[in-house]
Amino acid sequence: MKKSFSEFKRRLPVKLYLILAAILFFIFFSNDFGLVDIQKTAIILAVGVDKSEEGYTLTTQIAVPQSQQGQTVTSSVQIQAEAPTLCNCLSDIYAKTGWVPKLIFCDLIVVGEELAKEDIFGSLDYFLRDEYVSDSCLLAVCEGKAADLISSSSAIDNTTAFAIEKLFSDASEKTGHLSKNTLKEFSIGYYGASESGFMPYIRQIPLEKEMQKEQPTAAKSGEDGGAQEQMIYSASDTALFQKGKMVALLNSDQTFAFNLLRGKVFSGIFTVHEEEKPASLTVLKNEGGASLNMKGAPTAEFSLNLKVRIHNKGVPSPIGEIADSEPTEELLSLAKDKISEDVLSIWQTCVQANCDLFYLKRELYRSSLSKYNEWKEVLLTTVQPNIKVEVSKVS
Amino acid sequence: MNRISGNLNADEKALKEILSAEDILTFPFRADGGIEFTVVYADAITDKELLGEQVVRPLLHYAGKPQTEEVKKRLTSPELKTETDFNKLAQEVLTGNPVLLWEGMNEAIVTGVKKVFPRAIAEPPTDIAVKGPREGFIEDIKINTSLVRKRLKTPELQLDTVTVGRRSKTVVTVCYIKGTAPEKTVAQIKEKLQRIDIDIIPDSSYLPHFLAEKPRSLLKQVGTTEKPDIFCAKMAEGRVGILVDGSPIALTLPYLLIEDFQSSEDYFVPTYRATFTRLLRAFALFVAIYMPAFYIAAQLFKLQFFPIKLLLTIAGSIQNIPFSPSLEMLLVLLVLEVLNEASIRMPKYVGMALSVVGALVLGETAVNAGFVSTPAIIIIAFSGIGLYAVPNLIEITSVIRLAMLLVAGSVGTYGIILLTAFILFYLATTDNFGVPVLSPFAPFVRRDLRDSLIKFDLLSLEKRPKTLKSKNKRRLTHE
Amino acid sequence: MNKISARQLYFFLACIAPVGKLVLMPTQLVLFSKNDLLFPALANFALQAGIIFLIMLLSRSNKTVFELLRYTFGKIGAAILSLVLALFFLYAAFCPMLEQKLFVQGVFYDTLPSLVAFAPFFIFSAYLCAKPIFALGRIWDFLAPVAIIGFAGLMIFSIGQADYGALLPVGAGGGKGFFEGFAYTLSWFYDSAIVLLLMGGFRYEKGMAWKSLLSYLAGGAAVLLFLAAYYGIFSDIALRQTFAFAKISKYFAGVTVLGRFDYIFICMLSLVMAFYITIPLQACVVCLRETTGQRGMPLWYAVGVNLILFAASYFSNFYNQTAIETVSVKLFWIFPLFCCLVPLLCMLLRRSPREKIVL
Repeated sequence: MKKSFSEFKRRLPVKLYLILAAILFFIFFSNDFGLVDIQKTAIILAVGVDKSEEGYTLTTQIAVPQSQQGQTVTSSVQIQAEAPTLCNCLSDIYAKTGWVPKLIFCDLIVVGEELAKEDIFGSLDYFLRDEYVSDSCLLAVCEGKAADLISSSSAIDNTTAFAIEKLFSDASEKTGHLSKNTLKEFSIGYYGASESGFMPYIRQIPLEKEMQKEQPTAAKSGEDGGAQEQMIYSASDTALFQKGKMVALLNSDQTFAFNLLRGKVFSGIFTVHEEEKPASLTVLKNEGGASLNMKGAPTAEFSLNLKVRIHNKGVPSPIGEIADSEPTEELLSLAKDKISEDVLSIWQTCVQANCDLFYLKRELYRSSLSKYNEWKEVLLTTVQPNIKVEVSKVS
Repeated sequence: MNRISGNLNADEKALKEILSAEDILTFPFRADGGIEFTVVYADAITDKELLGEQVVRPLLHYAGKPQTEEVKKRLTSPELKTETDFNKLAQEVLTGNPVLLWEGMNEAIVTGVKKVFPRAIAEPPTDIAVKGPREGFIEDIKINTSLVRKRLKTPELQLDTVTVGRRSKTVVTVCYIKGTAPEKTVAQIKEKLQRIDIDIIPDSSYLPHFLAEKPRSLLKQVGTTEKPDIFCAKMAEGRVGILVDGSPIALTLPYLLIEDFQSSEDYFVPTYRATFTRLLRAFALFVAIYMPAFYIAAQLFKLQFFPIKLLLTIAGSIQNIPFSPSLEMLLVLLVLEVLNEASIRMPKYVGMALSVVGALVLGETAVNAGFVSTPAIIIIAFSGIGLYAVPNLIEITSVIRLAMLLVAGSVGTYGIILLTAFILFYLATTDNFGVPVLSPFAPFVRRDLRDSLIKFDLLSLEKRPKTLKSKNKRRLTHE
Repeated sequence: MNKISARQLYFFLACIAPVGKLVLMPTQLVLFSKNDLLFPALANFALQAGIIFLIMLLSRSNKTVFELLRYTFGKIGAAILSLVLALFFLYAAFCPMLEQKLFVQGVFYDTLPSLVAFAPFFIFSAYLCAKPIFALGRIWDFLAPVAIIGFAGLMIFSIGQADYGALLPVGAGGGKGFFEGFAYTLSWFYDSAIVLLLMGGFRYEKGMAWKSLLSYLAGGAAVLLFLAAYYGIFSDIALRQTFAFAKISKYFAGVTVLGRFDYIFICMLSLVMAFYITIPLQACVVCLRETTGQRGMPLWYAVGVNLILFAASYFSNFYNQTAIETVSVKLFWIFPLFCCLVPLLCMLLRRSPREKIVL
């Protein structure tokens, strides 16, 4: 008896391993826990959200990779759904296509202009709630309907999402001509003390007809499949938000100044006019910031320290001047005035729209809770701007 | 009657009764002095020329007394011994040593004139080094011990012989450097060898089953090498070596997992290069085991492991593949294993054809026909190559790779993590003659890290590995 | 293998134990203490470090806690107390297991998987539980560098992405926030109870108490750094960021370009965590075996304990949040009872057997 038990003990691990291996093989070959593999997945690259009668219209751009002679070509298809919530829209897309929509690769959320005028977190909360959605995706508002933008045919990439994402590359952000923002950053602004934020504002620009002839065939369209007008996109304006609602728009000059204040610009170009003759200056060093000074009368301190050089002039110049490209003192003064004006106009826009774009309330909250409680309602209207711009040449 | 009686006919008959095979021959002859002699020998394994020269010819003119010592003096063979037990004498005959019987003496002389068939000492195919010695062990234990002696000309080198195998009576030599190898380990090994009760030991690969503390373990438990230089270096670190007659593969104990990531060449190239190649081996092995599994886990459960562009490429290439990603990978892996197995066993002249069929016909055609995808082929190909970066572990690592693949296809990434945890714990808690297999990492032995995955220069390796518990700790003294 | 070395214990305290605090504890802290999350965490680490210091002093007798119980309460008393300890460890293992399950489902899958996906954990856990608890020492040697590399990798990717100003103003959560944050995260701090159980498994060396205290505080400092980066990155939406350590590194520029290669570090920490969360279960098996006088194979105990936990996991599948809330908030007091009070009371136990009076 004792011997047989010790024999059983000796062989037990082997038996257990065999049972485990059998279970493993069974699971491997049955392989279905309601999980979704790559072949059943709709890889959503971008979504557009619009307001509709039923609630929301969700336009998704889904990648359709195809292998052609050993090479993978990615085309895309746009699928739309209308429902009271975004989640409902996605279920609808699932039901229509049989693909399980996955948003983990969705790098772009575009909000239609109409929807942007009400609190967008009525719909965007979906992206924060779902554990399987990335919050590092880009967020933008567009002129007109987001569905039109997502469904448009891009002239530079056969997938619209990729074409728009190119606009928001790191290199393009350094030019200072657009202000990109992510869902995470926007949400922090929305739920934070400032309750404000910004997004790039995208416009579609039709490509000229003669250029269209030289372009390759456009992307597959989910709509009519006919020859669509090819588009390029611009995001040089910036939409300002307060409590999730779009309240104002910064033009391209203001957007540039805003990015200078954020210290994001390197090799960005702006143009000033000296006696009505244009001169383009390149920013080679950008130090900027906005802060709150509560000593005495509250002021919003805007400081900029730029180093620039001439990049291009609207008039012919002698070779010596081209060689050193040093801007004149007058040109520097003009640049300073222009940027100061732009900064001031941003501030005025913010005050008018009650948008705390520079997160001054947040700064106050962090520095003094009591002062924040005292000032939070009137801070923007009370604070006076103090703009200090230094523009110097690169020698 | 088990002992020699002195009656030549009776003794010859008794011996022939034990050795009844037809190749056991007898050669009777009469010396000048009238003494009757008979030589009993095994036909094919006795060197008859030597037998004639060193035994028969000197005795033909023997006219002295029929006394053992007198007879021995006439024989010119350097290996002589006397024996009285028939069983032992039979054993000697079967080993190739003829037995000399004569009328009137109740003991026989065993003459060491067995025929040896040594092949040339060549570079071992499993242990090739670009730099360093090219000698390898062969099947003859005497030559193998001579290769060891040649390298360790020290009186401390001990070569203790044990005979193992009821029928094969295989000679096993336990080699160690006295004072360097822990006595306890030597005693344990000898005891385990003596306890072996099996009919034959055809090769050294039989012994690990008897020497290992966990005989059913998936993990390799005994170090192996075909190179005498590595064998001697390991002994010099404090290990015990085992040579088995008939096997070119020598065993070393205790075994540490890290040994298989080291190559003899590491000691003949610059330190930084040795460190780099060791890390490269580890990396290649890691990637080879995990890449197919993670590829499957990512496709089935977590697409985010792929960057989007890569994902789209993969998604494009697997379209219309009739199998699920996991089954596809399993099939490709099985094909690789079949090709691998066939290419080893197949005659060399068919090998080229097999490569063409395997690589071109199976690979490319299968992709073109849409049976398997290109990424699957690429991943398995890399995995197949990567595994051979550590060839001594191939039997285990290929099983682990398969297990990883099955787990990844069943439960995904977490399954891979848990299986890794399981293997790590298993390794960390496995001892080999009192030495932890995963040392110097678990337990962490700082000093021994100097010659582990990284390698310090020779002058920094002043002491023998602490893990091996050698009494004689210092191996290098700075002047 | 039958003993844990001092180094291995330090590795456990400094590198292994902190990893268990990176999953749900950060969000729990934010829920109650908001941006003041560092203070309750610091208080918990300091408290645990102090208790561990005292346990190390107690361990100078080189006796196991069961031996001390036997000396003081006799065999039966010790068996009953061992059973109580076993029940506590089973209870303590529940939350980390749920946490791990949710983490695995959230981080290693794109869609919610079935419970089967987590079931292998119980097989692994049963295997570990069947082994002697002191065998863990060696694996801690191996896991310590894994934890350090994994943690360092994640921190390198995330430390520069954080706005540490988000931790201001100090005191925004108030005293109530501090107390709640402290009390309701006590369920993550059961390390002192584990050290108590390991007592006797290591030989006390001079200065070991101080070194253990410092090791635990070093691990705590790493967790505080992580918490600071976590809150700095997510700020006002930190509350939503469960499974924090799997998320903080994804905003690094390299990750956005090359894909989620930070998962390598996440997997490394998950590996460490898999071992860490089985420790209370192993402790439970040790206590149960002590209760029954070491009768029967450890494997059966291991299987039994893990089956109970699997059943708990199965039945709480739709009530994960409620279960975690019950353990960490409503019944939070159980942890200080066993992790602080019991070790303190152990200081009063007899260190040697009573001498038999022979008449």
